[in-house]
Amino acid sequence: MTGQSTGTGEYSDFVAVFRDRYEKLAGKLRGRVNHRPTDAIENMGGGSDAALIGMVSDIRSTASGHWLVELEDTNGTFPCLVMKDRPIADLVQQLLMDEVIAVEGTLADDAGILFVDSLYFPDVPRTHNPSTADRHVQAALISDVHVGSQEFMEDAWHRFTDWLHTPEAEHVEYLLIAGDMVEGVGIYPEQDKELDIIDIYDQYRAFSEYLKEVPADMEIRMIPGNHDAVRLAEPQPGFDEELRDIMSAHDAQVHSNPSLVTVEGVTVLMYHGVSLDEVIAELPDEEASYEEPHRAMYQLLKKRHVAPQYGGHTRLAPEDRDYLVMEEVPDVFHTGHVHKLGWGEYHNVVALNSGCWQAQTEFQKSVNIDPDAGFAPILDLDTLEMTVRKFS
Amino acid sequence: MREADEQYFETLETQLEAAFDVAERAKERGGDPKPEVEIPTARDMADRVENILGIDGVAERVRELEGQMSREEAALELVEDFVEGTVGDYDSREGKVEGAVRTAVALLTEGVVAAPIEGIDRVELLENDDGTEFINVYYAGPIRSAGGTAQALSVLVADYARALLGIDQYKAREEEIGRYAEEIDLYDKDTGLQYSPKEKETKFIAEHMPIMLDGEATGDEEVSGYRDLERVDSNSPRGGMCLVLAEGIALKAPKIQRYTRNLDEVDWPWLQDLIDGTIGKDEADEGDSAEDANGDDAGEGADDDGGDEADEQAGPPRVEPADKYLRDLIAGRPVFSHPSKSGGFRLRYGRSRNHGFATAGVHPATMHLVDDFLATGTQIKTERPGKAAGVVPVDTIEGPTVRLANGDVRRIDDAEEALAVRNGVEKILDLGEYLVNYGEFVENNHPLAPASYTVEWWEQDLAAAGADVQAMQDSPHIDLADPSAEEAIEWATEYDAPLHPKYTYLWHDVSIEQVCALADAVEDAQVAQADGAYADPEMDGTAGDAHSDDGALVLPRSDAVQQTLEHLLIGHTQDEETITVTDWVPLVRTLGFSRSLERDWTREDLSEHARTYGESESLDAIGVAEDAEREDGQNAIKAINEVAPFQVRERAPTRIGNRMGRPEKSERRDLSPAVHTLSPIGEAGGAQRDVAKATKHADDMSDTPGQVEVEVARRRCPDCGTETHQANCAECSGTTEPVYVCPDCEAEVERDESGRAECGRCETLASPTQYKVLDLQEAYRDALQNVGERETAFEQLKAVKGLTSEEKVPEPMEKGILRAKHDVSAFKDGTVRYDMTDLPVTAVRASELDVSAERLRGLGYTEDIHGDPLTHEDQLVELKVQDIVLSDGAAEHMLQTARFVDDLLEQYYGLERFYEFDDREDLVGELVFGMAPHTSAATVGRVVGFTSAAVGYAHPYFHAAKRRNCFHPDTRLWYEDENDDWEYGTIEELVESRLDDPQEDDFGTLVQELDGDLTVSSLGENGPCRQPVDAVSKHPAPDHLVEVAVGDRTLRVTPDHTMLRAGPDGIEEVPASDLAAGDDLPAYDGGETTTMTARGEASTAATDGAAPTDTVEAVEYVESDVDHVYCLTVADTHRVAVEGTYVGQCDGDEDCVMLLMDGLLNFSKSYLPNQRGGQMDAPLVMSSRIDPSEIDDEAHNMDIMDAYPREFYEATREMKDPTEVEDVMKIAEETLGTDREYTEFRHTHDTANIAAGPDLSAYKTLGSMEDKMDAQLEISRKLRAVVESDVAERIIEYHFLPDLIGNLRAFSRQEVRCLDCGESFRRAPLTGDCRECGGRVNLTVHEGSVNKYIDTAIRVADEFGARDYTKQRLKILERKIESVFENDHNKQSGIADFM
Repeated sequence: MTGQSTGTGEYSDFVAVFRDRYEKLAGKLRGRVNHRPTDAIENMGGGSDAALIGMVSDIRSTASGHWLVELEDTNGTFPCLVMKDRPIADLVQQLLMDEVIAVEGTLADDAGILFVDSLYFPDVPRTHNPSTADRHVQAALISDVHVGSQEFMEDAWHRFTDWLHTPEAEHVEYLLIAGDMVEGVGIYPEQDKELDIIDIYDQYRAFSEYLKEVPADMEIRMIPGNHDAVRLAEPQPGFDEELRDIMSAHDAQVHSNPSLVTVEGVTVLMYHGVSLDEVIAELPDEEASYEEPHRAMYQLLKKRHVAPQYGGHTRLAPEDRDYLVMEEVPDVFHTGHVHKLGWGEYHNVVALNSGCWQAQTEFQKSVNIDPDAGFAPILDLDTLEMTVRKFS
Repeated sequence: MREADEQYFETLETQLEAAFDVAERAKERGGDPKPEVEIPTARDMADRVENILGIDGVAERVRELEGQMSREEAALELVEDFVEGTVGDYDSREGKVEGAVRTAVALLTEGVVAAPIEGIDRVELLENDDGTEFINVYYAGPIRSAGGTAQALSVLVADYARALLGIDQYKAREEEIGRYAEEIDLYDKDTGLQYSPKEKETKFIAEHMPIMLDGEATGDEEVSGYRDLERVDSNSPRGGMCLVLAEGIALKAPKIQRYTRNLDEVDWPWLQDLIDGTIGKDEADEGDSAEDANGDDAGEGADDDGGDEADEQAGPPRVEPADKYLRDLIAGRPVFSHPSKSGGFRLRYGRSRNHGFATAGVHPATMHLVDDFLATGTQIKTERPGKAAGVVPVDTIEGPTVRLANGDVRRIDDAEEALAVRNGVEKILDLGEYLVNYGEFVENNHPLAPASYTVEWWEQDLAAAGADVQAMQDSPHIDLADPSAEEAIEWATEYDAPLHPKYTYLWHDVSIEQVCALADAVEDAQVAQADGAYADPEMDGTAGDAHSDDGALVLPRSDAVQQTLEHLLIGHTQDEETITVTDWVPLVRTLGFSRSLERDWTREDLSEHARTYGESESLDAIGVAEDAEREDGQNAIKAINEVAPFQVRERAPTRIGNRMGRPEKSERRDLSPAVHTLSPIGEAGGAQRDVAKATKHADDMSDTPGQVEVEVARRRCPDCGTETHQANCAECSGTTEPVYVCPDCEAEVERDESGRAECGRCETLASPTQYKVLDLQEAYRDALQNVGERETAFEQLKAVKGLTSEEKVPEPMEKGILRAKHDVSAFKDGTVRYDMTDLPVTAVRASELDVSAERLRGLGYTEDIHGDPLTHEDQLVELKVQDIVLSDGAAEHMLQTARFVDDLLEQYYGLERFYEFDDREDLVGELVFGMAPHTSAATVGRVVGFTSAAVGYAHPYFHAAKRRNCFHPDTRLWYEDENDDWEYGTIEELVESRLDDPQEDDFGTLVQELDGDLTVSSLGENGPCRQPVDAVSKHPAPDHLVEVAVGDRTLRVTPDHTMLRAGPDGIEEVPASDLAAGDDLPAYDGGETTTMTARGEASTAATDGAAPTDTVEAVEYVESDVDHVYCLTVADTHRVAVEGTYVGQCDGDEDCVMLLMDGLLNFSKSYLPNQRGGQMDAPLVMSSRIDPSEIDDEAHNMDIMDAYPREFYEATREMKDPTEVEDVMKIAEETLGTDREYTEFRHTHDTANIAAGPDLSAYKTLGSMEDKMDAQLEISRKLRAVVESDVAERIIEYHFLPDLIGNLRAFSRQEVRCLDCGESFRRAPLTGDCRECGGRVNLTVHEGSVNKYIDTAIRVADEFGARDYTKQRLKILERKIESVFENDHNKQSGIADFM
């Protein structure tokens, strides 16, 4: 969407983007339940079976420990009750606000509430069959370089780029960077005291120099992150002309955040990952934690949206459609942001959260976060096998 | 007590009783919720405790125990009384425990806060798993106002009662213990605790706690584990319980132990483990404490350095510069001096008569020269000794020194002169002296800072040197304060005493280099006679003596010499070639010259020590860093003493930095929108709540106009059985009683002894209210008729949308009609109030109070402070403790109120008029109520006169009697946000990115955040406007406070802080913790309408039907150590309304006054909102006389001497602790309990008028925010002590950037709100329309509120030299904003690659 941002910050833009989200995700659920609009359900007889596809607008626990989930469609809202002793009660723990789900169940006698029997996510089909490259070719998937920070691991970076020049790396033809090229300025108070390079443009110039160490024939794809000098609200457009001119090394291609990029036939959904913080905070530890960031990514895949919850950590810039929906199932889902390394497969989709190139910061130390710094995950595009190389 | 004092109090009490009788007669006539006056009188603390609790017999018992034992012990003693039933009328065991616990808390809080009533919800008897019974105490948020000790003791008292009653201990279940730990951690994270117990500690306490601590949920966050417990109602943190456990038990364990030891029945052996700190301490803790220890060492080290002055190697004694007060600088509030910077205020010790605690004396000329930004009562944030002080005018100290445009330098000691030269001032070289009293250092426990060398000290030096100072004072030919140069030099040489301060220049502010250069210039100088001829100094007789005809010293002009003279504060005139100094002989003599301008020293003669002595300013001081390396020899005082023939003292070794805090305040307090009557009219009155309009309103054509359905009381007349919603029976005029009906089964329910009405069958709480269709037309017509008024008597009658009180008893509309007639409005409790900044004064003159001496004599002022009979207006008299001075505005408002009260008595109650005032002089001698924020007790005061300053002057004891220190900013408060505190969780959820700030609670603080679509509903009205909140700023600050900056004002609130919110039923009070972004806060336009840019205004077009409110846009929570951590900046683009009226700041020196009869007649508890905190700020009890022992301690630290001894001044040079000199000083504490406790408050400095200087700060007279900021930057350029680039940087860093970033963030996660019904939604509904009413929904944060500062910020950064880093941040931010709000298709498009 870079250069295509149409939002002007009107109320109607907000409505449009949520409607678009609903329509797109509801489309993925329609085959599974027989959706009745909320206003139609209100008029149904008590006790009858009903199904509803809705955006989660509220989740509460009742005095007796059951879950009351309010679902919304384009006609209105309807309360749905998930009894605590049903197996699906566990699914409620995984719900985030503003994601779209489908439910089936029975209406109460006064038709004022739906007792939920089953609950569906848009999800990735288990049968998903990923595309692969038709030759042996590899891509390095990294993120969170943070050039300009005093903690930027220059030596590790040199080892990494040196390695790229070795025969061992001869098949690594692509470099994907999922945001936070530089440390940025003004990201947090008094950040200037922890900066190695104070000037933001100098940071990008330095980054560009580091990028030049990469073999000239590698293709580079990158998206911005929350430390980069673009708007923080998502979707984030790619870097502007001025920054692109600075980062001209190797003719790197700049995309927006998130972006679906295709390399050698393999589709990679690149997303910086700000919403991971929220997913990890909101969901139970066994579903999502900083130790296993890829599991939080599974949740996003299941919800088919990179940042469902509105109003919290994630900031939304309203556009004419919801660019954050995963309309297509990617073959690879690549994020960063949390500075932890983790990967796995979810319904045949490779989910990877690359680590970072910034050593532990004072802040991280204070909250006891130990980042995975100096790792380069290498993906075989023909087999979607992952190898992680350590350079720190 | 002296007889005079006794007489005074009896006069007051007689007057009070007379008024009481009238009010009682009026009340008997019905129409009010209770047939009697609802404010009980308390003569002492015991009475207050009894009245606040409403338990008979407590006062008597408290008085018996008082004097025999401490209050804590008395609280425990009372437990036995409750258990035995000799006090209180409780049958049940839980009732007895409850009574004992409430009494203990009331006793420990002196009966002035609502904690005993509101902080303890109830006590229950529950069952352990083994079948035994235990006690459960159910706390609520307002327990916070009790403080840790009282909280802790409440637990002990409950346990003691439990033991006496033979009830078993609480045995916590495993999951409950886990829950305590999780919950406290969650609460600490969300809200912040002063002390955060480790998990192990919490568990340890929970395991051993003999009673169960429980409470109501105060936040929306929920625990994740340990949910849905059988014995815990909520999954949210219980704020009251968390406070009691953490800040009470865990923090105050040593105090509790002191009492458990004395009680046989109670044994808490586990406390020892807590005290020893062996629980839950891990290595990290040890690390912390080790660090602390280091910190302490470092501090002591610094002290040592200072104390070593005797040691030749050390530098001069100096306090360390502190820049904490500069944090969170916001636009429009100038910095007067950077920390300890030369050119700033010079510390002088003494207490002026209008000085007491938290005040700073400033010369009126200084006030004018800082472009009137300082006025009497303006609050400043200061470097030391405290954090903030109210400015008072003192004209017996030195004024500022300025350089005029023609280069002339002179000191301005006269306010008139300051005004005359103000426009020609090029630079303010020195701000003049800054008077601080010793008591202020005691109160803040701040080491004494080196004193300025002043006349009062010099006189004592002179006496010590052997001069007969007494004789000199008595001599008509000698003015010790203002001697001639000849005299000064003579005394210095004859007695070998230090040179007189008048001729002592600031040698410590210039370097050796500068002194040498000046000496060289003097060598080349000539002496000019008055006739212009140059005299040959050689001709002129004996060296050494000055004469009146000495002429003037003419020095060759150079920049260096000019600057040296300026820094020395030597007045001079100049032209291009020369600099002319008159009265020059002491200068050249000090420089080691003879009067014939011959010197006998060279630089080489100076000792090594003198040449390398001192740094005039700290190396890392702000604005110094970029200078070249600082070298030794920055302080020439040693060198001067080597060359001068007499001793020269350091003239002004301590400079005090400060900046403007809040402006002074003198304003009527209106609800917003202002209302005249507390009777409900629903939505029918429109946004204006206009009753006349409501009588004509009909929802559609078929409805009868004026028929409105509202929720009102359900009451019945006990005499005739008539059902009504009114407080009195229309049939028989009896007072009706509430009828409770169960909402489920509709059965009537009786209330039990604790006032709860629970349906026995359904176990639901019964309600005393009903929905009823009222005929407003009839009600309005009847009311007009009843009071014999016509509609033309007033402009508009405004009522409330709905009632927020529990029983929802409406106020008689008749009262509103009379209020409207006299243009006064009702506060939530039915009273008419006026707010004023507090200032202390201990002696007054009739002339400055605009009263005659005769009038004062009539009030019992028979003698002046010297014991002479009071005969004329200029004599100073000692102010009596309960007499107060009203501001002009307050007097005017009181007059209106009095007319309202008279009409009310005559036309409504059918009694005689009470006041019958003609003009304001009649107010003198009348009684009022004074109240401080967050308290629930009023103090009776008597009007003694008037002042043009916008403040309320009263005896410090009066202020202290009203006040109670709330938890302050220093206490760690919760939020990460605003002042304070609330339950953040909630706020956070609501507006994630809003900030709140400060301090404590309660009252009236309005945070306004605008959602952007708020609009100004009407300018004509009291100007409630809706405005977008600009920004939330988060600053790395110290305390946990919530600061809400509304516009350019900043509110700090604590999480418990009561805020006003426009709810569906009108204005409601909610703890700040319940506010969410998007809430509408009622705004009051205090006249500070400002417009930063035109943008953003468009979005705020008024929408009809919405309450005139401001929406909260963004709130953020921060933990900060400093007072202000986070600011919410409400967009000041628009009107900054809110604050003025409603905010009760916690650091609160803004109190309100009410006219006595108004309070007696119109106050009713029945009107108070049914929320937690609703009873705060309401006069639940009044004190008729002040007992100095029972008031806030801070007043006891005020010094009451007429001169400070020499030992004191010398101790300041050693930077001793204030307590080390207490033997030679006298503070008010020493007279407590003696005959003299109400008298002999001496002062060291007089001032001609307590209202000298500007009446209003420029902050209040300048219009827009941008004007204020420009003025602020202008002053920063003019002041030598201010580094302008630092000011600009701070404004950007602390005001603009947080505002911009906060609003941009707020924009992208904002709530939306219905323009028609006001309902807000976390996210835009998919239908696009309101889910509730189908109405139009709009954003709460608009583009205009996001970008309103960006252009200004960029301009300021450029003009005032902000760092490149800052400029770059602004530039990037500007692009980010554009990226969100600009359509790329409408501009030159970039590369379109796309996902």
